[in-house]
Amino acid sequence: MKRKILVNVVGVLLAFLLGAVVMLVQGYNPLETYYRLFEYSLAPGKIAYTLSKSVPLVLTGMSASVAFASGPINLGQPGQLLMGALLATIGGLYIDLPPLLMIPFLLILAMLGGALWSGVAALLKYWFNMSEFITTLMLNMIADFFTYWAINYPFFEKNANHPQTPFIAKSGWMPEWGNFNSSVIVMVLAFAVIWFIVNRSTAGYEWRLSGQNSLFSRLGGVNISKNYLVVMLLTGALAGLAGGLVVMAGPHRFIKDIGGNYAWDGVMIAMVANSGIILTLVFGFFFSVLQTGSLGMELITAVPKELIQVLQAVIVLIVVAGRGYFETFFAKLEARRKMRERIA
Amino acid sequence: MADIIEMDRIVKIFPPSLVALDAVSVKFSKGEIHAIVGENGAGKSTLMKILYGMQPADSGEMLYNGKKVKFADPGEAILAGIGMVHQEIMLIPQYTVWENVVLGYEPVKFGGRLDVKKARELVKQKIDEFGFNLNPDAKVEDISVAARQKVEILKLLFRNVSVLIMDEPTSVLTPQEIPQLFGELKRLRDNGHTILFISHHLEEVLELSDRITVLRKGKKVGTIKTAEATKAGLAQMMVGREVIFDSIRKNQTAGEVLFETSALNYTDPDKRPRLIDVNIQVRAGEIVGVAGVEGNGQLELVNLIMGLIEPTGGSIKAVGEDITRKPILEKRKRVAFVPQDRANMGASIAANIAENVIMTHHRLDKRFTRWAGRILDFKQAYSFTDEIRKKFDVQMSSGEAVFKSLSGGNQQKVILGRELLLEAPFILLDQPTRGLDVGSIEYVHQRIIEMRAQKRGILMISADLEELFRLTDRIVVMHKGRVVADLVTEKTNVTEVGYLMLEGAAYEA
Repeated sequence: MKRKILVNVVGVLLAFLLGAVVMLVQGYNPLETYYRLFEYSLAPGKIAYTLSKSVPLVLTGMSASVAFASGPINLGQPGQLLMGALLATIGGLYIDLPPLLMIPFLLILAMLGGALWSGVAALLKYWFNMSEFITTLMLNMIADFFTYWAINYPFFEKNANHPQTPFIAKSGWMPEWGNFNSSVIVMVLAFAVIWFIVNRSTAGYEWRLSGQNSLFSRLGGVNISKNYLVVMLLTGALAGLAGGLVVMAGPHRFIKDIGGNYAWDGVMIAMVANSGIILTLVFGFFFSVLQTGSLGMELITAVPKELIQVLQAVIVLIVVAGRGYFETFFAKLEARRKMRERIA
Repeated sequence: MADIIEMDRIVKIFPPSLVALDAVSVKFSKGEIHAIVGENGAGKSTLMKILYGMQPADSGEMLYNGKKVKFADPGEAILAGIGMVHQEIMLIPQYTVWENVVLGYEPVKFGGRLDVKKARELVKQKIDEFGFNLNPDAKVEDISVAARQKVEILKLLFRNVSVLIMDEPTSVLTPQEIPQLFGELKRLRDNGHTILFISHHLEEVLELSDRITVLRKGKKVGTIKTAEATKAGLAQMMVGREVIFDSIRKNQTAGEVLFETSALNYTDPDKRPRLIDVNIQVRAGEIVGVAGVEGNGQLELVNLIMGLIEPTGGSIKAVGEDITRKPILEKRKRVAFVPQDRANMGASIAANIAENVIMTHHRLDKRFTRWAGRILDFKQAYSFTDEIRKKFDVQMSSGEAVFKSLSGGNQQKVILGRELLLEAPFILLDQPTRGLDVGSIEYVHQRIIEMRAQKRGILMISADLEELFRLTDRIVVMHKGRVVADLVTEKTNVTEVGYLMLEGAAYEA
C-alpha cells in the first residue's frame, strides 16, 4: 500500500522534473511557472472551480476504470458522453418539471443515453462476437457525427450562427454557489456508489475476478456474459452521466465540441490509476488542477498551456512504466540484502 | 576418475528473497552418469542452468577441465563442450531430422550455400557412430517424442559436446521408451561422455546413474555412489524424513454410481473427432484413474465435464441428474474440480487469497452473502480462509496476501481446500499433484484418500502411473479419444497400462 503511493508520488515528481527541464531549455523559469499553475487552481477562491472541472474527468475515468478492471475494453467514453449529453438536452428542451424532479430525471436520461450507446457495442459482441475494443471506437465516430447532425437540424436553435441547441429548461440547470457547482455532489455520490459496488458487492467481486482471470471465474460458476453486459451498460451510463452534467452545469445547451477531450483524458486517468477507483478520483482531480492551472500559467507567465498536455502524457508514461519497474527494483534490493546476509 | 567439472560454493538468489542455491559445491567426473535429484524447487534445474550459462550465479566459481570458466550464454557453453537437453523439445517440426541437427552449424559450400549432401552425410555418420535408430530424412513432426529427444541429443553430439545435461528426460516418455533411452545414455558414457541427469524418479536414478547428488531446498545433502544407495535412503535424503511408497488404499466397497458419461462424443471445430463413445462410471467411495499419454482426449474430457465445451453427442450424469448442458454453476453443486493449471484455471493469482477461496462458495453458500446474495460478507471470507489454512496446513501470512505470493504447494492446498469444502459428491481431479514436491504430493494423496473414505466419487486424471497405482481402485486408459481399457488396479500392472497407453490395444504377452 505504502509502496503504491510512493510509486505514484515519485512518478508525478519525476514528470514535474522533466517538465522543468523542458522549460529551462526553452528559457522559462520552472519554479515561477509551477507556482502560478497551482496558485491558479488551488487558491481558496479557485479550488471550487477546479473541483467542478474535475467532474467529467472523474466520471469518464471511473467508466474506463470499471470497464478495464472487469475485462471489457470499453473505449467508447467519448461517444457515450455525447449521447448522454444529447439525451439530457432533448429532455431539457421538451419537458419541464420542478428542479427536485427535473435534475434526477435529466441525469437518468443522460445515463440512459450512454448505456444505450455502450449497449449497442455489447449487443454486437453478443450477436456477432465483435470485439468491443473495435466497436466502441467506431461508435465514437458515429456519435460524433450523429450529435453534430442533431444540433444542426432537428434541435438547431433558430437564427443561431453556430451549431447549437436552445437552452434547456432552467429547472434542469445544476445549482451553483459561487464557483462551486452542485455537479460535484453528483460526482461524489457516483464515486461512493461505484466504490461500494466494485469492492463490496457480489457482482463487483465477480467483475474484478473475471477481469483478472475470466477462465477461472467461469469455471467457478460466474455468468461471464451477463456480467459483461452489465459492466458495459454501467460504464456507458457513467460516461453518459458525465455528458449530462457537462450540459447541465455548463453551457446549459448542447453546443459543438461540448465533449472536448474529457473522455480521452478519462481513459488516460484510468490508465495512470491502474483501474483503481480511489486513484481515479485522485488523478481525476489532479488532472483538473493541471488543466485549470494551465490557464493561469499562460495568463501570467509566457509558458503556453500546451505544456500541460506534455506534462500529463509524461505523468502517464512514468507512473505506468514505473509501476512495473519499481516492483523489480524493490525485489532486487531485497535479493541484495539476502545476498549480503549469506556472505557474512 | 578425473573431475571434468567442479562447481564451488554456487549461490543463486531469485529476487526478492528465494535462495535457490545456497553455497552448493559439487564435482562431476569424466565419463560418469551423475544424477542430480531433489524435490521440485530443490535447485536441480537452477544449478544446471548456471553450468550451462543460461543464468548467472550470484557468487561461486566453476572449474571445467581444471580451468576457471564462466559462460555468458548457452552458446559459449556448447562451444566449450557442455550441452543441455531441456524438458520441452525445441525442434522445427516441418524440418527433417538432419535439417534440425545441422541448423545453426551447417556445413557450407563456396558462397555460403548449404552443402546438402555433406550435411546429410555428416548427420548419418553421427547416427551410425552412436547407434541411434533414426532416419535422417524423416520429418520431425512425423516421429515419436522419444525419437525427437534423440534428435535433440544428436544435435549436441553434432556440436562435439562432451558433457550432456539432461533435464528430466523421461517425463515425456512412456514406460516402454525409457529403457531404450537409458541404453543410449549408457553407450554414450562408455564412449567417454559425461552425463548429468536431472530427475525426481528414484527408480530411474538407481537404474541409470553411477553417482547421485541430492539437493534439498537449495542445499547439497550429499553425493553418494549409486551402488551404495537405496530408494528409501534417497527419498529420506530428498525429503528429510521417511516416505511411504506403497498403495495407501484401504479396502472398501463402492456404493451407488455418482458420475457417469454415456457414449460421450466430441468433434472439434476442425472436424477432428477428439472423444469417441467415452463411457466412464464412478461410484461413491471409489477413485477412478484416467491414464493416457497427454493429448489423447483427457483435456477434452475435462472441458466437457466442466462445461467449457459442448459435446457433439452423449450425456454426462452426476448424482443422478443429467448435467450435460447445465450452466456451470448448476454443475458445481455436484462437481468439485481441481484443475492441472493452477494459474489459469484454478485461481486468480492477482487477487488475494480470501477472494480466491470464496469463488463458487459465494454463490452456493448463503453464509458468504447478505441482502439476498447481493453483498459479500468479507468477514466470513476471511474466517473461511483461516479454516482452510488450519484444515489444509497452508503456510501463508494472511487472507489479504496476494495468491501468487504462495508457493506452488501452498497454492494447490488452497485450491484443494476450496474445492473439497464445496462438499460436492463428485470430485474431478486433473493432475492434482503436477509440479508439486514429494512432501506436498504425499499430503494431497492423503486428502484424496480421505475423500474416498467419505464416500465421495473421484475421477483422477494423471500422467503419473506411480500415483495412479498408489491411489486408484480402477484405471481407465485413453488412447486417441477412446477408452481402450477399464481395469481393476489390483489386477493390472504398470507394464500393461503403459502398453495400452502407447498402443491402444490389449497387451498380449
